[in-house]
Amino acid sequence: MSFQVDVRSATALTPQGSGQSIAIAQYGELFQGVVADEEQNLHRCLVSLPCSKLHSAAKFTFTDQDTVTVLPCVKEKARRAALLALKRLDAPFSGGVLEIESNISEGKGMGSSTADCTAAVWAVAKALQRSISSRETAEVVVNAEIASGNTMFERAVLFAHREGRVLEYYSQPLPGMVILGLDTARDETVDTLDFPAACYSSREIENFKVLRAALRRAITTQDVELLGRVSTASAEINQKFLPKPLFGHICQISHEVNALGVAVAHSGTVMAILFDLADPSCNAKARSATTMLSQIGITEVLRFQI
Amino acid sequence: MDNGRSVALLDAYRPALVPLAYNLTAAAFPLMKIYPAFGCVQEGITEGYVNDDTLIVESSSGTMALGLAIVCRWTGHRLTIVSDYACDPLIQMRLRDLGAHVEIVSHPSATGGYQRARLDRLGEIRGEHPNSWWPNQYGNPANAKAYSRFASQLVETLGQIDCLVGTVGSGGSVCGTASYLRMLFPELIVVGVDTFNSVLFGQLDGPRALRGLGNSLMPTNLDHTMFDEVHWVSAAEAFTATRLLHRKTALFRGGTSGACWQVARHWAERHPNLRTVCLFPDDGHRYVQNIYNDSYMAENQLWLASLPGCPQEVKSPREAESEWSWMEWGRRTYEQVLSEMPNASRSTPLVSSV
Repeated sequence: MSFQVDVRSATALTPQGSGQSIAIAQYGELFQGVVADEEQNLHRCLVSLPCSKLHSAAKFTFTDQDTVTVLPCVKEKARRAALLALKRLDAPFSGGVLEIESNISEGKGMGSSTADCTAAVWAVAKALQRSISSRETAEVVVNAEIASGNTMFERAVLFAHREGRVLEYYSQPLPGMVILGLDTARDETVDTLDFPAACYSSREIENFKVLRAALRRAITTQDVELLGRVSTASAEINQKFLPKPLFGHICQISHEVNALGVAVAHSGTVMAILFDLADPSCNAKARSATTMLSQIGITEVLRFQI
Repeated sequence: MDNGRSVALLDAYRPALVPLAYNLTAAAFPLMKIYPAFGCVQEGITEGYVNDDTLIVESSSGTMALGLAIVCRWTGHRLTIVSDYACDPLIQMRLRDLGAHVEIVSHPSATGGYQRARLDRLGEIRGEHPNSWWPNQYGNPANAKAYSRFASQLVETLGQIDCLVGTVGSGGSVCGTASYLRMLFPELIVVGVDTFNSVLFGQLDGPRALRGLGNSLMPTNLDHTMFDEVHWVSAAEAFTATRLLHRKTALFRGGTSGACWQVARHWAERHPNLRTVCLFPDDGHRYVQNIYNDSYMAENQLWLASLPGCPQEVKSPREAESEWSWMEWGRRTYEQVLSEMPNASRSTPLVSSV
């Protein structure tokens, strides 16, 4: 970054420089539960279902003010993320303006605050002409917003979302899928922080062991059908904790069109039906599903790909 | 004992997944009962029933006793095993070496045979020791629950599984493993293997030459609604199959493995497009005096010239008589199947608590 130095007074430094960045949304999770690490300690964790069709854009501009302000001013988490990023990257200046623009709905389980915070961190890094890893970004974002999705990583990871720690990296990216995203309760929102964390039974924790192993197998071998089964099983467990209206109907539609399965926002209202990108009848299936969804009153569907 | 070490010990007993055919995999366990033994004791500790000084006491004639003795060696708990004549000297030696106290009941109970007699003696021992705990493999859900690690291994190694074949004694291994697999594969076909004169799937109690499967009392860990098919095999068929398995594959296994293989091999051949997994619960060491002893096999007419090529289908459990038979169980309850039997007698009593 460049700054002007007044040679007569070395303390008169005027910060300049700005950076912009984009971070993507998610559409709920392919998996969320509790797993053990090598020392057998349990961690809450998830694998986000990334949605690159929606995103937050951030611009950070250094100013000579003392602190960071954000526009719109409600984006407090992003502001915190920017502050933490400045500290983390040992920025020589502590003040600037953060601007956030996002097309991600809030309170739906689409990771709007994760995207805001991630974009803010990356914008700050860009303004400093510094790089920051996904892992470090995750730590900063979780500090800013307490619980976060894993969309700051280029590939799917098993992410301890309340700790900002990766529990498992996978050797492959997610296999290609076409996804129909929908909102089961358009007029409702869920505040991730207000909503109490699920209290799983010891049997459910054993269930997650099996789902975690299946998830690893599905991603490693690019078994998109198995991935659909894991996602559906995770959604079914979650239905006990944050039930989605029309869950049964949507699962039925998924079954009837021979989709891979469903995914849900484990702390939100959205759901998704998953299709195999490599399936030649994938488009026809997605069209059938869209028709059937409209018959149960779900007329707005977002189609995207990974 | 810390968690990391206990998991490492458990992993030392994990099964080898052995491909027997392109669509058939055997899970060959050194000693499958380690899983429910470990699971029950761990849960006892977690739930507060078991502390460092608790005397653990169980009724068993074989592998569950050995499994518990090994686990108690790791955890340091005192163990008493109540057994009967069927507890062979080799197991008794191992139990004592492992620090367990072994009691042998000498007479069977009027109803419920030796199994009932052992449970009665177990009850007496518990009365004498206030700080004692009974894992209760037949009724404790921690038994079935303990198979999550195994189900994880199966899915991670094989991916989708279409059929699970296993012998049934307590119901823990088959119902436990199947319940985890069905989270992902609800269409999974479950085939149970029982033996004649076992009450598990509707026959009447009677002497059984084939040990390690079947039961004189009904365990609550057996969820009948998990089963699509049930097969009954005889001791001669199981022992012959165990020897054939050894001759064909070099797998040195116990009698329940042979019984399971007999059914699974046939099932996999009849369903070439489905992937079948079969459970082989223990290895052959404890059977050198009988199954692997040619004189014993000849003297007791246990060597069959050949195994039946396929089982007889029966419509009702009591039609199955002495040779390999099978029945479409259709995920029904025990009561449903019983009600459809001609001249059904009153239902078998459940295993009662001690």
